[in-house]
Amino acid sequence: MSGNPRAPLPVSLVLGMVLCGSILMIALTGPWIAPYGPTQLGTGTPLSGASLAHPFGVDQLGRDVFSRVLHGTWLVLLLSLSGTVLGFLAGGILGLVSGQRGGWFDWLVMRGCEVLISIPILVTALLVVALVDTQTIAPLPLIIGVIGFVYAPRIARMARSAAIEVATRDYVTAARLRGDSGLRIAMVEILPNVSGILLVELALRAAYAPVLVASLGFLGFGLRPPTPEWGMIIAENRGLIFIAPITVLGPGLMLATLVVGINLLTEGIARVIGRSVVRTT
Amino acid sequence: MILLRFVLLRILGGIALLLAVSALIFLMTDVLPGDVASRILGRNPDPERLAILRAELGLDQPLGLRYLQWITGVLRGDFGNSLISGQPVAETLGRRVLNSVFLGALALAIYVPLAVLPAILQAVNRDRPLDHAISALSLAILSIPDFLLATLILIGFVVLMPLAPARSIVEASSTWGQALHAMILPATTIALVMATYAMRYLRDSLIEVLQTDYIRMARLNGTPQRVLIWRHAMPNALVPFLNVTALNLTYLFGGVVVIEQVFSFPGFGALMVGALLQLDVPMIQATVLIAAAVYILGNLAVDLATLALNPRLRHVG
Repeated sequence: MSGNPRAPLPVSLVLGMVLCGSILMIALTGPWIAPYGPTQLGTGTPLSGASLAHPFGVDQLGRDVFSRVLHGTWLVLLLSLSGTVLGFLAGGILGLVSGQRGGWFDWLVMRGCEVLISIPILVTALLVVALVDTQTIAPLPLIIGVIGFVYAPRIARMARSAAIEVATRDYVTAARLRGDSGLRIAMVEILPNVSGILLVELALRAAYAPVLVASLGFLGFGLRPPTPEWGMIIAENRGLIFIAPITVLGPGLMLATLVVGINLLTEGIARVIGRSVVRTT
Repeated sequence: MILLRFVLLRILGGIALLLAVSALIFLMTDVLPGDVASRILGRNPDPERLAILRAELGLDQPLGLRYLQWITGVLRGDFGNSLISGQPVAETLGRRVLNSVFLGALALAIYVPLAVLPAILQAVNRDRPLDHAISALSLAILSIPDFLLATLILIGFVVLMPLAPARSIVEASSTWGQALHAMILPATTIALVMATYAMRYLRDSLIEVLQTDYIRMARLNGTPQRVLIWRHAMPNALVPFLNVTALNLTYLFGGVVVIEQVFSFPGFGALMVGALLQLDVPMIQATVLIAAAVYILGNLAVDLATLALNPRLRHVG
């Protein structure tokens, strides 16, 4: 099944690449192709619906919602991707090392992860953002750190169970007898053999990260206004959903496109490497 | 005996985990910049009054002692008083939890047919266009962030088909009918979110069961398709479905925050967000602890239910 170079690429993979690629293009060019500035006032009649000049309408302050969405795209990608990578690196290394070392270290790490996982993702994120003083840590690194913090224990647990399967194989025993360090065994011997599982997990987490960022912004725990982060734009225009629904649906559509794109990419990757997608909390 | 030991150990483990989580929550809310007393008195408090208030609230005591006092209070059902309203946290909390439980029950009633029927259709029409269509649709719904799904449903049902109220407000004076009417949209949204997850598991396990010999035997004996699915295949396909369902239920306490916000539903999540925005520490501690408790109990229930439903597992120990 896997590894056949002649097999056609799965539809989901191609579609996912197209969707994610488009969003990436918008992120890179957004600030230049946007017709108005992200905080520019008086661009049109406030509360007006979709039109050619304002595809996503105009908000209460007279800002062009489409331009705000374009200006915010790179921000959403930056926050969610760097947060995911941070959590993935921290959790992945911890899980792999813990899984192949075993013993009291493994026990301690896993109990710690269990405690952290017991608080639901969104609740942990809200708690940390609410409790950390934004005077000491700026909102942008804080949000990235929070995503890393909620993902790390979940990824660690997953990486550990994958590592344990591999850790009993002969080549790992050989490396251990050779006297290699735990970190080296984890990186050189175990990592290449669990990379498929980790890749699917990374893609799944990456798909949820933009939702987490937007949820935080939507609930008022995100960046500071008037930053054009999508969740915050949706929250700003929430009162307008019966007057100018496009001001909410526009940014929502962009967010859904990104998430659908990453999810399709995940399914496609999983099919190519011959693994199934397992969603966990 | 082995089984009893396993169950007891699992329950003790759950209790230990809950205690550890409570300690973590207490620690996190304690390292806040400035303590509860300085928050009550506002900016630049009079140092003398601050000292008096701190002593009154017991904040001059060491951390470990304060944790013990808090956790013993919690075990007696006393979560302290809200910093904002001065009312006992437990009273407000009880009302909101009750609201969320009702919402959850309604959501569950919608969720079960919403997950089971498409899954059966898929399993019966395996790898045919209908199967693929339902899979694609569920992936699409799964990919729509829940607050956007809630907004779409709100716009659809309130603007285009004015059947339900825009704000799902439930008051003490509401009759059952009114409450049900108010909760129907948030409940449907929650059911939809949960169903897309569960459907996939149920489809896969149904397909697996339908390929077994005893199903083939029953089919060759001329058992009608309906009996085959519901009486013979379903009971054996249910375990993974129940697992996802129990984990889905934990989503009600912690995950539905945004859905509640969209429908202005006075549930548990809205209470937690309000407490976090106002830094109402006792309320934060209580709500986060409950969210974690629901998660831990949900997982415990999953393990025990799996054991109860699958007699084969009991012998392995």
